[in-house]
Amino acid sequence: MSAKPDMSTTQPPDADMVTIEVNGEPLRAKKGSMVIQVTDAAGIYVPRFCYHHKLPIAANCRMCLVEIEKAPKPMPACATPVADGMKVFTRSALAHDAQRGVMEFLLINHPLDCPICDQGGECPLQDLALGYGKDVSRYAEKKRVVHDKNIGPLIATEMTRCIHCTRCVRFGQQLAGIMELGATGRGEHTEIGTFIERSVDSELSGNVIDICPVGALTSKPFRFTARAWELTSHPSISPHDCVGSNLNVESRRHKVMRVLPRDNEAINECWLSDRDRFSYTALNSSDRLQSPMIRDGGRWQEVDWSTALEFTVAGLRRVIDQHGSNQIGALAAPASTLEELYLLQKLLRSLGSSNVDHRLRQSDFRDDQALPPFPWLGQSIEDLESCQSVLLVGSNIRKEQPLLGLRLRHAGRKGAQIMAINPVDYDLAAPLAHKIIASPADMILGLAGVASALAARGKATRDRLPDWLSKRVPTASEQAIAQVLATRKPAAVLLGNLAASHPQAATLRALADLVAELAGAALGVLSEANGAGAWLAGCVPHREAAGKAANAGRNAYSMIREPLQAYVLLGVEPELDCLEGGRARSAMEAAEFVIMMTPFSPASAPTAAMQYAHVLLPLAPFTETDGTFVNCEGRWQSFTAAVRPLGETRPGWKILRILGSRLGQPGFDYSTIDEVRAEIDARTLTPSSNLGERLLPPELRVDTNTLQRIYEVPLYRIDSVVRRAEALQQTADNPKPAARMSAVQAASLNVNDGARVRVRVAHGEVVLDVAIDTRVPDQCVLIPSGYPETISLDAHGAVSLEKAEKA
Amino acid sequence: MNVLKRYLQSFLFFELLKGLSVTGRHLFARKITVQYPEERAPQSPRFRGLHALRRYPNGEERCIACKLCEAVCPALAITIESEERADGTRRTTRYDIDLFKCVYCGFCEESCPVDSIVETRFYEFHFENRGEHIITKPELLAVGDKFEKQIAADRAADARYR
Repeated sequence: MSAKPDMSTTQPPDADMVTIEVNGEPLRAKKGSMVIQVTDAAGIYVPRFCYHHKLPIAANCRMCLVEIEKAPKPMPACATPVADGMKVFTRSALAHDAQRGVMEFLLINHPLDCPICDQGGECPLQDLALGYGKDVSRYAEKKRVVHDKNIGPLIATEMTRCIHCTRCVRFGQQLAGIMELGATGRGEHTEIGTFIERSVDSELSGNVIDICPVGALTSKPFRFTARAWELTSHPSISPHDCVGSNLNVESRRHKVMRVLPRDNEAINECWLSDRDRFSYTALNSSDRLQSPMIRDGGRWQEVDWSTALEFTVAGLRRVIDQHGSNQIGALAAPASTLEELYLLQKLLRSLGSSNVDHRLRQSDFRDDQALPPFPWLGQSIEDLESCQSVLLVGSNIRKEQPLLGLRLRHAGRKGAQIMAINPVDYDLAAPLAHKIIASPADMILGLAGVASALAARGKATRDRLPDWLSKRVPTASEQAIAQVLATRKPAAVLLGNLAASHPQAATLRALADLVAELAGAALGVLSEANGAGAWLAGCVPHREAAGKAANAGRNAYSMIREPLQAYVLLGVEPELDCLEGGRARSAMEAAEFVIMMTPFSPASAPTAAMQYAHVLLPLAPFTETDGTFVNCEGRWQSFTAAVRPLGETRPGWKILRILGSRLGQPGFDYSTIDEVRAEIDARTLTPSSNLGERLLPPELRVDTNTLQRIYEVPLYRIDSVVRRAEALQQTADNPKPAARMSAVQAASLNVNDGARVRVRVAHGEVVLDVAIDTRVPDQCVLIPSGYPETISLDAHGAVSLEKAEKA
Repeated sequence: MNVLKRYLQSFLFFELLKGLSVTGRHLFARKITVQYPEERAPQSPRFRGLHALRRYPNGEERCIACKLCEAVCPALAITIESEERADGTRRTTRYDIDLFKCVYCGFCEESCPVDSIVETRFYEFHFENRGEHIITKPELLAVGDKFEKQIAADRAADARYR
């Protein structure tokens, strides 16, 4: 394309561009684009229902009919490609008459129930009826009635209102990757629904609520509670995954009523995952902790902040005096804001302890020193779409970072080859070109095979490869993955959350780094929530803010394994958020003093916190505090509170500020959050995902003969907010925890689907239902974490299963 | 001369009699004072007095929580909260009118798609305690139940003009 922006006649016309005339105004347009795209870009409005700029074109609502010179009839603007010299009239008598005619047809069967319809006030049909509808209907016959479908706990249906634009169908087909909704029947008998009676289970299903131009699909948790016009919209950022989706938090009278996506082409486009959209329901639940509480002499009592802070300071002082400051440890939820994480580590470090960590679900920290300043995607989120080959290592990206999964699906549609080395054959909704589904131990061998296949292609590396790696003979699928990665560029290797919680995560990271180097691919690390922010804030034992080296303290895993005397918990529910819930509970119970900052009362959760905590400080969730989240591409996104804190709740940065001051530490006299943010001067850091030094063990010890547990945290169990979002808990993505295993494995244990088995690990045993799951490899049992039933189990190591009595 | 005239007039109480003649006239004219509360001034069917929420003849409340009245209220006197009732219908859980804020403009009545919120002919209300000026949904429904006959008759009388 010509770099010159002007359209002077001296330049030869660009071969890709044509000139059309819309309402007498000349417009330049790209060849092959549709009339509506040109008018939209020029700000000329053409009414539409079925056209959506992110969806494929269907042209079935006919609302966008416009007059085109020399065309015998009005043409749909959304499906008419531009041609040079084309003259379009969007508001001529012919066009307007056609649009009014279409509107009359659409309104024939549309019920007149706007007063009870949740879409009322933000409904394109209602709005356009004002401009294009008649005030009196000529239609006296009975209107069509369609039975409602129950399509799950998130989306409410009122199918009589449907105008068959098929946006929801196209969304499912093209974006969500599964065609869950479809149109059956023809003409007046057309109905939108799931083909068989079932729910819509996509992790992105909530988006159909936004794209539905009428009130046929509306939000079930929001149903009938508020009107669009009475809500105030506050820009915010999602705290649940490392994408950092942009949201609008809509509130009324200081209560969050709903959450909608905010357009940001670089991050979430116009979409939002269900987790981000519906997690707000927890914020209004009765489980919220509304005032500070202290446990004095075994009894809990509600106190004012001053008393609670005095009690906290006295408790910490006592522990420091008796046991030394290195007996204090802090665990932070990765969904905390950058400022909270920064102040937490500053507080701990100023007290003389470096025991501060946010990596609650990891156990292998051998390569801490070699890791880059923060976990980085290796590219921008937008670039992910143009990758030609992507290797996922230990990632269920579709459920862990649903919007990155969507980007990969786009890449797949554009011809990228998506491959995976996973412990479970997850449905990634993009066809996998090659995959290795292996037990956690075998995943290492699989990745090693890919590395050795790539090394065999002759590319040199700075490391001397250990024998077990260089001598490994790659299998066919390892060869194939190496072949694709080496030949299809740009390529990316993505390490998911399952890789981070892998028992030998450091080896896996080193191998992934090696593979990326050998293949010339970008290495991306997908962290939990605000993981990047936590690293930059210094909320890791060995690094201070902005990646400065620090006297290494204890990491999250060692703080649990070798209990300390005092714990500061920032938004953490230890049993549910830590890798080994049972051990976390024992550690807390053994501690002399436990401070819990939490938005929710632990009495409502399956934790024993009411027995072991000494202070509960009500912490503001993301809608009630200012803060910053850093996403996986290193983008800092600051936001302000949407509503005022509930009851006596206070923003985390203020709690930590006053704790710092009351403990007599200098440097905690901030007056605004901007001052805190300014102290974390990390914007000059160059993001990188390559390891300084690869930790490839000289001997690889993998135990492939014993039964292994596969540890996963289902997407609606990841943090204290989503765990309390009732609607999300009822979805199909949140099945009852079970011991999932292959049919072969079940047969070897002589159990059937639905039988009970006793699961024993090194620490903890429970009885679970058996579920036959074809996605799980043999010699493995998939047991989800984050449920009350499974919290006492260790994450890794050998498992023994035996048949148990039916409950 | 004028001096003499003025002297005579004041001597004969002319001004007093002139003034009393008005009194005398009114003494015999038709009385127009309304003897409230024994007597009432006539009211239009469109009279805008105390609000009421109406029910259908089967006892079901009319209000569907569309919130148009809340939106149209120029004095922001109406506060509504709504939810899905157990039977799946859209209903209010709270319907408050602040009678101190209300300017009795009747917009709420006009905007109501189901003739639920109405202004009755009743205007004789008072408050004895702080806070009573906010009337709640049960109170509004009770007002509606009490005056339903009159409300229905008034709507019927006015129907052809609406």
